[in-house]
Amino acid sequence: MASKIVTFVLNGRETEVMVKPLTTMQVVLRDKLGYNATKVGCKEGACGTCTILVDGEPMLSCLLPAEDVEGRQVTTLEGLTPVDGLHPLQQAFFDNYATQCGYCTPGMIMVAKALLDHNPSPTREEIVDALSGNLCRCTGYEPIIRAVEVVAEGQDSRRPAMAERRRDKEIVR
Amino acid sequence: MTTKAYNLPESLDEALGMLAQYGSNLLVMAGGTLAMPLITKGVSQPERVMGLRRAGLSYVRETGGSVAIGAATPLTQVVNYKGLPLLPQAAHNIGGWAIRNMGTVGGNLFAPPPAGDLVVALLALDASVKLANARRQRVVPLAGFFSGFMANVLEPDELVVEVQVPRPQGDTALLKLGRLHTDTPTVVGVATRIVWEGRKVKEARVALNGVGPYPMRARKAEAMLVGTALDEAAIAAAAAAAAGECEPFSDPIASEWYRRKMTGVIVSRALAQVAA
Repeated sequence: MASKIVTFVLNGRETEVMVKPLTTMQVVLRDKLGYNATKVGCKEGACGTCTILVDGEPMLSCLLPAEDVEGRQVTTLEGLTPVDGLHPLQQAFFDNYATQCGYCTPGMIMVAKALLDHNPSPTREEIVDALSGNLCRCTGYEPIIRAVEVVAEGQDSRRPAMAERRRDKEIVR
Repeated sequence: MTTKAYNLPESLDEALGMLAQYGSNLLVMAGGTLAMPLITKGVSQPERVMGLRRAGLSYVRETGGSVAIGAATPLTQVVNYKGLPLLPQAAHNIGGWAIRNMGTVGGNLFAPPPAGDLVVALLALDASVKLANARRQRVVPLAGFFSGFMANVLEPDELVVEVQVPRPQGDTALLKLGRLHTDTPTVVGVATRIVWEGRKVKEARVALNGVGPYPMRARKAEAMLVGTALDEAAIAAAAAAAAGECEPFSDPIASEWYRRKMTGVIVSRALAQVAA
């Protein structure tokens, strides 16, 4: 097998890996580089949890040979997360109960990030459309859509109305 | 994984040279949305794979009478290209956003049914396919490209280079029935285009997807529409003809019976949309 060296920019950092032919980005990120935020779901392009951004566009790392990203900019959830605290989308997902088991969350957030980069104020329909390739079996999607709406509206996601209300109820009880 | 080599040619000539050298021993892959799952699962174990992402085949070129779309053009680019009817909606019917960023126009020609949501629109627009090998190129009508289930007229050393769409006349409609609102496999897809002469139908195209071994034109239905005023009776007759001439199959998405039944319903709705 003719292994090749592939060079690309991962989360802003020049990265070089040696890969066998057709090794997917999913395998490169998780097994070779230890970037585990990108999840392994269906491995056939149906679930969206392995979504990464290539030059800012969502792509499925399970379908993407590493050789294809030579010279390109790759972003994973690790690249979004600041050293301290959370990215506004992560905070909004947390505050709006948009994660339950959490397995779909990395893919959801990567697609939401790409959407907001392309279109800072999407309608609800545009959010649903963008996220339609990402499966979530826990939340019923509503909290996820709400979380993206919160960030899109530029609200202060650290003080979400929904979380406050729930907390108040508990106190009253 | 047994793949010994994965090549990414940097030009069409280089790609055609590789095909000339390896022929059918070379698996051609564009976006990877169809081939990669099979390779990952070991269903397909190609020794040598050629990727087309860097071969210069991603473009939309407007020429005098037609639009040429490169075979490796991502579907997202088709969604965003507003110079032709039907195609943006048809491309948008495929997968989710990430799949459309990867899947390509040429790749959709090789998608087994009920996939092929873009092809059905291309059929209604009388598209042709440009095929090339290292020595020559030829252009075949898309309607003559398919020869059976996952079979086509492509020679082992040939590559689909581009799809050519003539500037369309007439009114169009595209409808897809699936189980979900979006990112859903097709039960039946219908693309139709009607060219008028006064108030009568001069030319009709009714293309069907998901109800045959490959996306196909419902030629009996098309012939029945010509000369009519596309009134209720004409639409009902054409819809019945389309339901009769389609060759549906059963899969986990829908039964043969349901697909045939819905072919009639969706064809009549699409034609009614054009008539309105």
